[in-house]
Amino acid sequence: MSPTLVVDIVVGGLITGGIYALVALGLNLQYGLMRVLNVAHGEFLMMGAYLTYSLHTAWGVNPLLTLLITGPASFGAGLVLHRLLYARVLAGEAAEALESRSLLLSFGLLFVLQNAALLLWSADLKGYSYLAVPLHFLGSVFPANRLVAAAVALAVSLAFYVFLQQSFLGKAIRALMQDPEGAQLAGINLSRVHGLCFGIGIAMSAVTGSLISMLFELTPFIGLPYTVTALVVVILGGLGNVAGSLLGGLILGLVETASVYLAASDIRLIASYAVLSLILILKPSGLFGR
Amino acid sequence: MSMKRREFLKTTAGGAAAFTVLRGKAWGQAKPVRIGYTLSATGPYSVGAGITQGPNYTLWQEQANAKGGLLVKGEGRRPIEFISIDDRSEHETAVRFYEKLATDDRVDLMLPPWGTAMNFAVAPIANKYGYPLLGPTAVSNKIKDLQLPYFYALLQQPDQIMGAFAGILKELKAQGKISKIAIAYVNDLFGIELNASAATALKEAGLDVVDVKSYPLGVKDLSPVLKGFKAAGVDAFVGLTYPPDNILATSQAKEVDWNPPVWLAAVGTAFPFYRDRFKGAEGVMGIAGWNPKVKSAGAKEYFDAHVKKHQKEPDRWASAFAYASLQILERCVAEVGLDRPKIKGMVDSTEFQTVAGPIRFVKGSNVSTPGMVGQWQKGEFEIVWPKSLATGTPVVPKPAWA
Amino acid sequence: MALVAAPEILSPYYRSLALAILADVALAVSWAFFSGPSRYLSLATGAFFGAGAYLTAIVEARVPWPLPVLGGALMGGAMALLVGALALRLRGPYFAVFTFGLAELAKHSLIWYETGVTGTVGRLILAPPEPWTLYYTILCLAGLAVLTALALRRSRWGYALAGIGSDEERAETLGIDTTRVKIGTFALSAAFMGAVGAAMAPRWTYLDPQVFNPFVSFQTVIMALLGGATTVAGPIVGAVFLGLASEILLLKFRYLYLLGLGLTLIVVVLALPSGLAGLLRRSSPSPLSSPPAGERAG
Repeated sequence: MSPTLVVDIVVGGLITGGIYALVALGLNLQYGLMRVLNVAHGEFLMMGAYLTYSLHTAWGVNPLLTLLITGPASFGAGLVLHRLLYARVLAGEAAEALESRSLLLSFGLLFVLQNAALLLWSADLKGYSYLAVPLHFLGSVFPANRLVAAAVALAVSLAFYVFLQQSFLGKAIRALMQDPEGAQLAGINLSRVHGLCFGIGIAMSAVTGSLISMLFELTPFIGLPYTVTALVVVILGGLGNVAGSLLGGLILGLVETASVYLAASDIRLIASYAVLSLILILKPSGLFGR
Repeated sequence: MSMKRREFLKTTAGGAAAFTVLRGKAWGQAKPVRIGYTLSATGPYSVGAGITQGPNYTLWQEQANAKGGLLVKGEGRRPIEFISIDDRSEHETAVRFYEKLATDDRVDLMLPPWGTAMNFAVAPIANKYGYPLLGPTAVSNKIKDLQLPYFYALLQQPDQIMGAFAGILKELKAQGKISKIAIAYVNDLFGIELNASAATALKEAGLDVVDVKSYPLGVKDLSPVLKGFKAAGVDAFVGLTYPPDNILATSQAKEVDWNPPVWLAAVGTAFPFYRDRFKGAEGVMGIAGWNPKVKSAGAKEYFDAHVKKHQKEPDRWASAFAYASLQILERCVAEVGLDRPKIKGMVDSTEFQTVAGPIRFVKGSNVSTPGMVGQWQKGEFEIVWPKSLATGTPVVPKPAWA
Repeated sequence: MALVAAPEILSPYYRSLALAILADVALAVSWAFFSGPSRYLSLATGAFFGAGAYLTAIVEARVPWPLPVLGGALMGGAMALLVGALALRLRGPYFAVFTFGLAELAKHSLIWYETGVTGTVGRLILAPPEPWTLYYTILCLAGLAVLTALALRRSRWGYALAGIGSDEERAETLGIDTTRVKIGTFALSAAFMGAVGAAMAPRWTYLDPQVFNPFVSFQTVIMALLGGATTVAGPIVGAVFLGLASEILLLKFRYLYLLGLGLTLIVVVLALPSGLAGLLRRSSPSPLSSPPAGERAG
């Protein structure tokens, strides 16, 4: 293996993985904490992408700056959705009904969001070019926009991880994840924290979407593959474990990139699934799951 | 007459006239010609449907109805009424709806959905109930296997397309402008068939293919493929692509700092969207079939009408053929009426002059339109191959990425 | 019964609609007789369905009907047995995501094989069976699925499955061979899904690996959960309701179909905590619409 190939795989893998990690973190927060399997996760990514696309193409706003808009806006939307929909389902329900009902709610949201995007932006492919310039380093060449997107994604992920470890709210979230009853006895308001987490999860998804809009063309239907990837990463790293999602995302990115360079594009998904299977055989609750 | 009486008569006369006109709209107005179809407004097929077929269907209807409707032999003009739904890119939905159109709604005519797979699904139904179906977005060698007398394919098929590719590449090689070709193809039926045709056509033309790589639908990163081609010194890139991966490959070529002298990518290149996305896409080549400058009757008028109604240009390949399919139907209905077997008879035996040039069907295949290659030059997708139909000469090497 | 007479009295379109809904019923019921009591939320429906469909496309020309349907059943069952051993060691969300990947894995593996070995992808079914044949095939499958579901819940395996669903460790300590019960029921469920896929394939003429479709998995889950996965009537009601609502929305609201569908789902979930079947239960209790005995006993 030539050094260029190694660089290609490692850097390429980290780029892909960084984005995977961010999109998975949001889902992990919702699923790990609230057991809400939000299949509409990717649709929020899609909305964030379109929002950035519109802001950039209509008013020339720098795509990276739009994060300051899509982030808070989607966080707010998440809070509202939680209040309107999920809170009512999560209130005092038997566990199994809760999961199925919130799953159905998420499907409903998925359809509604897709239709909204269809009405607002139509099904035509939309895209723009941003920082599509080659950067030469370490003996190979990489596009600036992918590097920037991955860097921002990793930064946000790490910031979130630090937030969880250090801040009061972060500690409350972790407490709830580990011991829901104990945490509530200690005075933590379950519903409030749920709402905030849901909002954060949505915000992370939308921010990933904003970053992705710099790299790929958009249609109202790009969401689902990202939801699937997010689910795979969450499972790989262990449900409820934030560090697991970070590492899981990077690992998945590396595996996929390696498979494409060493074998063929066709087997990218086969390879990631094979790795997932392997890990689950050895550890049925994911790399760092309980 | 007294004033009052005159007023009274005027009012009643006016009222009677209005009444007659209104009733005339119900009575005197002809029964509409009901035409049924599905098009994908959601799901993966919606992109193509919304560019290539949808706009042409509505443009044609508007133009016909402005004249009072479709001219039906022996019945004068009858307005066109569309009965259509979104098939959601789901074959089952389309199949069911075409059954409904045939047996429940009993429409007069049918138009096809978008895409080869969809056409495969609904063609047997149209055929079973005797509805001629002229498909402008069906490309596959398997169409012949279907052996459906009522199905017609307008576009060039894989062998013709790749014949054109081979033709221009051979010419360029003879001029010493290229030497090493590489192919990247999407592993969908379309890409696979084109690749198989390519292998034969390029070999016959004595051309050297140094690498062939396939990739899946929905691929997110083609830079490994492109980097490999670049490292191998490829100077002619042939992409057997769909629009999303075409756009990806094109933008990534710039990102990996690769600008081969020839960039020839199958589908999507002919979309005005592609040109605008890549700031003119100067020098990029792809499958062609038409542009507003071709000598076919009504080409420029069609272009202008499309832009006026939809605020967007028709694409430079299948759009014109979609419109042409409607022109063919229109002519048949005018000459033999709405009797479907008669329409079929006429389609089978006539050479039609359309905005996309002459079209004649033999056993359901269009034998008049050869494979063509186009190249974006100063904002227009000039036809650069074959020379007999060219509207411009190939520019090789292509300029740097914008 | 009306359903049996349907091909005679209904126009082809309504027969097709009935056929499609019956297929959904078969899928939803067979999904629910495993995933309902066991609470292993399977997203593998698309994989088994697709396998049956693609198999039919390959053999249909050479093999008399209804053998392809049996082939589809065997194919689905075999796949489930193969992955069941690994998949059923996983719990809850892990199982769900893993089974979801099955459809993708099947699709990409098939594409890889086809492009590499056979050089083509996709198959044409040139001489499909008559529409009424397909209709009766699907009707039989739906009926069989319902009968299987009813029989299962009264059987030892059915009780074992419900036990696994409420507390798997406890079920094991009680001496139940949970592995055998889970894998067996999973495979039975998958066999039905493969059979339905095989029976539907001739309607579409052209089959390619895209038939391994995750939306089939989602749709089946939605139907079963909407109706109520713990009863036998639930999935039936869910499938019929969603099928009809879908069709009406599709025909009437060209640009708002998804919106209508989504809002319907949301409204139903918020308004009916026990699913659509809960409505039935209140009006007329019957074995079809009641939860399994174990649950009722509390």
